[in-house]
Amino acid sequence: MKSIRERLRRHLPRIIAATAAVAVIAGSLTVSNTARAGGTLRVGMTAADIPLSWGQPDQGFEGFRFMGLMLYDGLINWDMSSADKASGLIPGLAESWTVNAKDKTKWIFKLRQGAKFHDGSEFDADAVLWNFDKLFDKSVPQYSARQGSLVNFRISSVAYDSASNAKGWKKIDKYTVEFTTKSPDSFFPYQISYILMSSPAQFDKTGKDWKQFAKNPSGTGPWKLVKLVPRERAEFVPFKEHWDPTRQPKLDKVITLPIPDPNARTAALLSGQVDWIEAPSPDAIPKLKERGMVVSSNLYPHIWSWHLSRVEGSPWNDIRVRKAANLAIDRAGVKALLGGYAIEAKGHVSPGDPWFGTPSFVLRYDPAAAKKLLKEAGHGPNNPIKVKIMISASGSGQMLPLPMNEYIQQNLKEVGIDVDFQVMEWQSLLGRWRAGAKAAQAKGTNGINVSYTTQDPFSGFTRFLRCDLHAPGGVNWGYHCNKEIDELLNKASLAFDSKERDKWIAKLHTLEVDQALFIWVVHDVAPRGMTTKVKGFVQARNWFQSLTPVYME
Amino acid sequence: MSRRALDEKQQATVDAAQVAVQSRGYWATVLVRIGEDKVTLVCGAVLLVIVLSVVFADWIALADPYKADMMKRLKPIGTPGYPLGGDEMGRDMLTRLLYGGRLSLFMGVTPVVTALGIGGLLGLVAGFLGGRVNMLIMRAMDVFYAFPSVLLAVAISGALGAGVGNAILSLTLVFIPPLTRVTESVTTQIKNLDYVEAARASGAGNLTIIRVHVLSNVLGPVFIYATSLISVSIILASGLSFLGLGTEPPEPEWGLMLNTLRQSIYVNPWVAALPGLMIFMTSLTFNLLSDGIRSAMDVRL
Amino acid sequence: MFAYLIRRILYIIPISFGVTVLVFALVHMAPGDPLSAVVPPDAPEEMVQELKKAYGFDKPLPIQYATWLGRILVGDLGVSIARSRYVTDELAVAVPNTFILAAGGTLLGFTLGAFFGGVAGYFQGRWIDKLATGIAITGISVPHYWLAIVLVIIFSVEMNVLPSIGMGPGGSTAWQWNAENLKHLVLPVITLAVIPMGIITRTVRATVAEILNQEFVQALHAKGLLNQQVLMHVIKNAAPTMLSVMGLQLGYLLGGSILVETVFQWPGTGLLLNSAIFERDLPLLQGTILILAMFFVLLNFLVDIVQTAIDPRMARG
Repeated sequence: MKSIRERLRRHLPRIIAATAAVAVIAGSLTVSNTARAGGTLRVGMTAADIPLSWGQPDQGFEGFRFMGLMLYDGLINWDMSSADKASGLIPGLAESWTVNAKDKTKWIFKLRQGAKFHDGSEFDADAVLWNFDKLFDKSVPQYSARQGSLVNFRISSVAYDSASNAKGWKKIDKYTVEFTTKSPDSFFPYQISYILMSSPAQFDKTGKDWKQFAKNPSGTGPWKLVKLVPRERAEFVPFKEHWDPTRQPKLDKVITLPIPDPNARTAALLSGQVDWIEAPSPDAIPKLKERGMVVSSNLYPHIWSWHLSRVEGSPWNDIRVRKAANLAIDRAGVKALLGGYAIEAKGHVSPGDPWFGTPSFVLRYDPAAAKKLLKEAGHGPNNPIKVKIMISASGSGQMLPLPMNEYIQQNLKEVGIDVDFQVMEWQSLLGRWRAGAKAAQAKGTNGINVSYTTQDPFSGFTRFLRCDLHAPGGVNWGYHCNKEIDELLNKASLAFDSKERDKWIAKLHTLEVDQALFIWVVHDVAPRGMTTKVKGFVQARNWFQSLTPVYME
Repeated sequence: MSRRALDEKQQATVDAAQVAVQSRGYWATVLVRIGEDKVTLVCGAVLLVIVLSVVFADWIALADPYKADMMKRLKPIGTPGYPLGGDEMGRDMLTRLLYGGRLSLFMGVTPVVTALGIGGLLGLVAGFLGGRVNMLIMRAMDVFYAFPSVLLAVAISGALGAGVGNAILSLTLVFIPPLTRVTESVTTQIKNLDYVEAARASGAGNLTIIRVHVLSNVLGPVFIYATSLISVSIILASGLSFLGLGTEPPEPEWGLMLNTLRQSIYVNPWVAALPGLMIFMTSLTFNLLSDGIRSAMDVRL
Repeated sequence: MFAYLIRRILYIIPISFGVTVLVFALVHMAPGDPLSAVVPPDAPEEMVQELKKAYGFDKPLPIQYATWLGRILVGDLGVSIARSRYVTDELAVAVPNTFILAAGGTLLGFTLGAFFGGVAGYFQGRWIDKLATGIAITGISVPHYWLAIVLVIIFSVEMNVLPSIGMGPGGSTAWQWNAENLKHLVLPVITLAVIPMGIITRTVRATVAEILNQEFVQALHAKGLLNQQVLMHVIKNAAPTMLSVMGLQLGYLLGGSILVETVFQWPGTGLLLNSAIFERDLPLLQGTILILAMFFVLLNFLVDIVQTAIDPRMARG
């Protein structure tokens, strides 16, 4: 009978070896995570919570950026590969799309073959129909009113009749889908880009419950969600079987953290808790640079503007007043306010853009010309025009609304336009935007300061200008109604050749600027702060960005 | 009929009231003791300076508190024309602090005064009448007491929305329950005292009793208790503005200034710290002052 | 004692009912459309109406209240409008997180407060007393959210020794009681502790002073009894009040942590409240305020019971 001590002595070498082996393995596991080229990227977002992960994200375009387009693809995607040229539409889960030459309300989309969802199921035409049903058809189990409310307004052209449940999407064969629009609309592909494809198989697997699906989402995107802690973090790892060879993630992991407070975001970057922050406060940027951080920025389709009321009696109905206001603003000064992180606007879009056109009215800082115009209109510093503008104290894309607006107020006062502000919270401002200039809530005001995307024709032009898109049907806040503009919009939407379409939109833009329909101030450049260890990032000229080429040094 | 114990401050008030009623010359003693307490006197003086400079801001201030000048953004302390620097919109900090003090003090004092009026009345009625009325009023107060004060203030303000008026309303509602409680306690105690019973027995009407005996003896201690709530009110009010629920830009107010200057902490930390300093100083002097008065009133020391 | 317990328990029922009415009224007196914050500005009107119906906002208020009350009683706090998550799920995560913070703050505040207060009460009238009392008053006079920002700048941004946001490097679900995670607790707890420290210092000081001034204690002292025994006596007599104050402070911190949590992005009930308010997420707002208030009611109840158990004279009513 061997005693325990003897047994131990005999087995000791083996025990030591085993322990050593375990230690080495454990050590190598912890070391290897940092030794591999990929690395882990921690991103501080401006959103107050992790965007919804079930398909259509919330939290606006940041939701697309850090959730929607990471997990999912649309039939058509945006090209995020280059920083030097405009970002346009490229094939996503659809390899090609053509409009029927004889009946321009019908589009044939040829789908990509062999694309897989994260759960292993295959993407095909049924998945496309299923995803459109989820937004419109109340009778199917996957119907989601919330997802519909988030995105249906962007796909307003697709034919759907709620009374008869007649759908504008039809399966032709396993990899071909036909869409029908209410009327011929060449903007349709843009609209399609916002609809993301969730996995029907996964929906069934998670008990046909969107809440459960959100915890275990499945799309075709380059990233997979492996951990979701609401309000705190989302963790993504690469999806090895992603169909796009040009978008294979280099990182081992991405962690996104919601940090809505700009101060906390800056502190998080400076204290080493995150590697990348969205939208640092311009005042903090010098400090970031001083500490050796990199600030990446680029032009993108964004415009910061005042929308003017064209309701009867509004002082903005006089074109001289509108032009004068545009000439009175010292845009260089606004840019300086933002630490140089802005681009002075010359119109709704920027001069290099194919939609810019050839406006004769040039936006510049010319207070003398402004005063002259106002004098012709019967006003001046001694007899100022009084206007009241609704603004917000913060908000996505609004940059630094208070200092910017106050500066503009100073500028306008000098030429004879007295501006009064009604400050409110961002969400309230959006509510007022939707309610329109004639609503009770808008009483006493004749302008609203909003910023938004101009990356597709509907978002950038149609929804503000088309006569019928005033409240409650759209955000033509000021009740613009110009026959010529409506005609140009119509022609553009009927031009199925992209060059021809660009031409019409350029004409539209020319008219818009020459009529000084809005007050345009600056374009944002989306500054982002990151440590020097973050490499490979290409900031595309888009609200969306791709993290696939990024790696940590 | 059970209720939560009064906290230390409230209990001291009630005790003091009892003594006050029973001895003549009590208030004279209190005044003398305050006179001997240097700390309290200094605090009183500092507070007076703060209040006066804030009230007479128009005469002292150098500039228009609303006039922004982007060139002077976040200029450091000591810039000519900007003795305490410029804020994030280029407005003179000294001016903004002075005018801001108006709104901050207003938001600090008004809710307490209003709550004193309403809560005091409710407490008097509850204490004096007793019975069913007492139970009804105190139970209702207990429901409000179920909420920690910050939570209640934020919840009411959050519901009503931002704005000075809403914040004042919200803070008033927060302070009514404690004031009601203290007043009720004091009133109940006084009501049961022998000589008040004697007065009643001799045929004096309710109103007379209230006016002659109860009111004067209740008001004093409760008033002092209320002043200790002022510093809480100032901090809560500025906290609401900090969250975006109180004052709205471009009104100057210390809490709001603390909020809007937060981004500037990397450019000019000293300027960003100033509003916080003002809140601290005001709150501190109010606290020390009311403490001093209460310990002068405290018969146990 | 038993009868008192029963009476106290029964008393909670009408109070809780009153609390639900108050919470509902608070949340619904908000002007404006309950959905305006979650629906994009371009959303068509029918969509908005449909969502309204789905959430029951089209029904008259008393019915909405009754429905909500009915659901609470079976434990269903509803679904958050903005996040489409169950309110109970959100609270289940947030409440323990805030509790960790609140408990830390109370403990630190209590420890420091007991120390300062004891010292001040013992050395009553001398400069130590003034110093300790001064620290206490500073604690309740300083706006603690401002203190938070200052501490972050000093310790996180400049000195890089403590993290500036969040609950642990792996988030709250990966919380462990180790150094890495506890570092995240340091600054928020310090910030939260200043006010309780101030209040507890003053209470302890007053209690200690009062007890020491009692004649028989002085007599004991005169007899030459060791300081230690006097100390024990003081502690025993001060315990009930101490407990009640500590309990109340814990309650205040549980419900009032919103400012600190906002600065530190601490995933607790305060942050939940913050987003609920600004997103006008009515179900979440109602649920969170209700739960926090009920905690406070419960805490008060416990404090009452414990206090009465220790010192039956304190029973009220």
